[in-house]
Amino acid sequence: MIDILVSFIAASLLLYVLLGGSDFGAGIIELLPAGRLREAQKVVINRAMGPVWEANHMWLILLVVILFMGFPTIFTTLMIALHIPMLALLVGIVVRGSAFVFRHYDAVQEPRSQGIYTALFSLSSLWSACWLGIIAASLNRGIIDPASRDVWAAWFAPWWGVYPLAVGAFVACIYAFLASIYLVGETEEPELKRRFVRLAAWGNGLVVLAGGLVFAASLGERESLPAAFLRDPLKLAIVGLATLLFVVLWVFVAKRRTLLTRIVASGQVALILIGWYVLYAPNALITAQGPLSFYDEAAPPATLRQLVLALLIGSVFIFPSLFYLFRVFKRSDGPKE
Amino acid sequence: MNNLTAARATMAFSLGFHIIFAAIGMTMPFLMSAAHWLYLKKKDPVYLELTKMWMKGVAILFAVGAVSGTVLSFELGLLWPGFMRHAGAIIGMPFSWEGTAFFLEAIAIGLFLYGWKRMKPWVHWTTGLLVGVTGFISGIFVVAANGWMNAPAGFDWVDGVASNIDPVKAMFNQAWFHQSLHMQLAALQAVGLAVAGIHAWLYLRGRAPDLNMKALRIAMVFGAAASIAQPFAGHFAGERVAALQPAKLAAIEGHFATSRRAPLTIGGLPDAETRTMKGGIAIPGLLSLLAHRDLNAEVIGLDQFPREDWPPLVITHVAFQVMVGIGSLLALLGVLYVWFRRRGALPRWLLWAVVACAPLGMVALEAGWVVTEVGRQPWIIYGIMRTKDAVTPVPGMVYHFYLFLGLYLTLAAATVWLLRRQILAVQQKFGG
Ligand code: HDD
Ligand code: HEM
Ligand code: HEM
Repeated sequence: MIDILVSFIAASLLLYVLLGGSDFGAGIIELLPAGRLREAQKVVINRAMGPVWEANHMWLILLVVILFMGFPTIFTTLMIALHIPMLALLVGIVVRGSAFVFRHYDAVQEPRSQGIYTALFSLSSLWSACWLGIIAASLNRGIIDPASRDVWAAWFAPWWGVYPLAVGAFVACIYAFLASIYLVGETEEPELKRRFVRLAAWGNGLVVLAGGLVFAASLGERESLPAAFLRDPLKLAIVGLATLLFVVLWVFVAKRRTLLTRIVASGQVALILIGWYVLYAPNALITAQGPLSFYDEAAPPATLRQLVLALLIGSVFIFPSLFYLFRVFKRSDGPKE
Repeated sequence: MNNLTAARATMAFSLGFHIIFAAIGMTMPFLMSAAHWLYLKKKDPVYLELTKMWMKGVAILFAVGAVSGTVLSFELGLLWPGFMRHAGAIIGMPFSWEGTAFFLEAIAIGLFLYGWKRMKPWVHWTTGLLVGVTGFISGIFVVAANGWMNAPAGFDWVDGVASNIDPVKAMFNQAWFHQSLHMQLAALQAVGLAVAGIHAWLYLRGRAPDLNMKALRIAMVFGAAASIAQPFAGHFAGERVAALQPAKLAAIEGHFATSRRAPLTIGGLPDAETRTMKGGIAIPGLLSLLAHRDLNAEVIGLDQFPREDWPPLVITHVAFQVMVGIGSLLALLGVLYVWFRRRGALPRWLLWAVVACAPLGMVALEAGWVVTEVGRQPWIIYGIMRTKDAVTPVPGMVYHFYLFLGLYLTLAAATVWLLRRQILAVQQKFGG
């Protein structure tokens, strides 16, 4: 039972990062200067995100529900210790979703209000992406201390520091990279296509750079990442593979194989998450008192059975409808050349 | 404001905000599908225009509902970790089904909003209807979770720990049915009447009369039917409360001393110091009759409960009076509407009455939640866990409250502004 639930958590997280992530990334891209392509870029992003962003957002809800039903201790520990970053993330999510829809559905399309929506949408996309990274980084630092009631130690220290900030930047770069790769296949306009390819190249570089930053920043942590990865050939192989795949990716980009580039880029991000997973599994988080593992903190079996049942039955409906949604709007390999 | 008060205010405000959009999200798709259906059948372009107009409203409001709902699912843990630590495993089930229903809803809305040119007309119509159906189902699930807080079931509580958990029993607790029934009717009623009111007003002002009359008729089918059914569902809810939560009933009615032939007091204010009702019209025996179907039945009063276990009396009582007062008025409106509609002509004064009643359904809906939630105090899980034992240890919750107060007020203002622009644009296009 717990294995199934952990797989569902992993799958939801992956899909949230991949699908939701490219929606966030689209917002981040709109922050960058675009000159006269700005309007055209906005149209493409609206069209690409419009039908799917609500569904992509649902992976986050699913994660929260699985956590609070299946692993209530983990959920409450997180929500207490990381109250501030969670709140920051929520504000970002609220502003971002609203601004995106307002921009699209405002009956009067005038530059001033459109400018405000776009600014809010893209700033809050960047903001939320960073906070998501900060939250992810805080899980395994061993600083979260459920016993403490000291304001600094209990509610600031767990997420404060260079390392969480670096992970936040890393996540933002990954999102922008994913979005660029994804958007390449969403337009037929050569100029815009070139722009997205260029952005993907920059994003690629920044992901590598920010990745390095994360490794460097982790030297100041309880357990540094280089040490953890070097100790285990499997982990090292995963990181190596993720980096090597960039070569494959650019071959496909050069050959304009939209679907394949998407698959490879997704594969890279999946490998990063898998690397994270093998580093810490089966622990959900590491507190000052020791790790909290999914296997020790699960709800009673009767609850887990019902949760798995709901997820399995839900999947029977959700996956085919999702497939239909993507098929209706994406028509496999993007627009034909 | 102390931490507990701030956390409560935050929860109340977030839910009070979300419920408006949730009600709209559950109901508008049905109105929209009805208009769309009429268009596909009759090919009258006015119905198409109406469908698209409502669709744009749904898109905006749905998004606000979705993000404010996301906030809620986090807030269960951010504000009430003491509650979720125990309750998560017990009532997670309705939430997990709710999540499934939302997922399908989010997919359906993407298909409907953007699929006009990509699907066969009737397939497309079906996706619109599915938005409503899945939203409605998810509403039932969440209310079942709230019902469990009023009528806890499906576990044994020994020394502050839940054991023997049975999530199915917890979901189908004794309050789920009457609460869901009443809530879903309330959503149909509040949204149906609000939409009807807006279109009645535009019609009376001479704007696009054909379009607005058609819109009004569709909305009133839902609004009037639900208004007529609601007092019955509400009475049923009252009977269940009498059986399940006697302290809540006593607070609702300001009923201090346990007695036979208990009176129903209309209006008035309960005074906890003197333990009497001030003012109001007391009708002897009516409370006994309504609560237990017997004029002479005994109704438990607040004297059976220690003082510290009383819910806030004035809020609960006043909220209930507001809800029932509005419910009775709207039922009358519903009957009048059906009557004149069957006679063939809607007099102008009736349309003005619809305009005047437009906001009342939403007011009653909010009041109803105040009755349920405040009337359950000081318990977060009735008879099991007190609200003060559930609150988060994080200090400075006032800031959390002010942050969301500011955010949501801004969002509400922006939404209203956008909808106004939307309506004006369509009306201009259709002249008048
Ligand atoms: C349009 C909205 C609306 C209207 C007209 C009414 N109600 Fe209501 N009422 C609600 C909207 C609502 C609600 C917001 O939907 C509540 C809150 C929780 C729930 O399940 O329904 C509710 C709760 C609620 C409760 C508490 C249930 C509980 O705590 O378990 C009672 C006893 C009633 N109602 C009774 C009535 C009566 C006798 C009405 C007579 C006309 C009435 N309501 C009209
Ligand atoms: C959606 C409409 C709802 C509204 C308008 C609403 C309103 C309120 C109000 C006014 C309070 C404050 C009570 C007080 O301070 O005395 C409150 C508290 C609370 N509500 Fe609700 N409520 C709603 C539904 C729900 C649902 C569906 C749940 C959970 C399943 C829920 C969970 C809570 C919790 C945990 C609290 C805090 C503890 C408490 O004060 O009871 N509410 N709500
Ligand atoms: C503690 C209580 C609640 C929680 C945790 C909660 C959670 C959520 C979440 C996560 C969403 C977003 C789903 C999406 O992205 O599509 C949502 C939307 C929605 N909620 Fe709530 N909700 C609560 C109370 C309620 C209540 C009381 C109702 C109705 C009776 C309700 C009905 C809806 C509906 C219909 C939607 C779909 C979005 C829309 O139509 O606007 N919710 N809610």
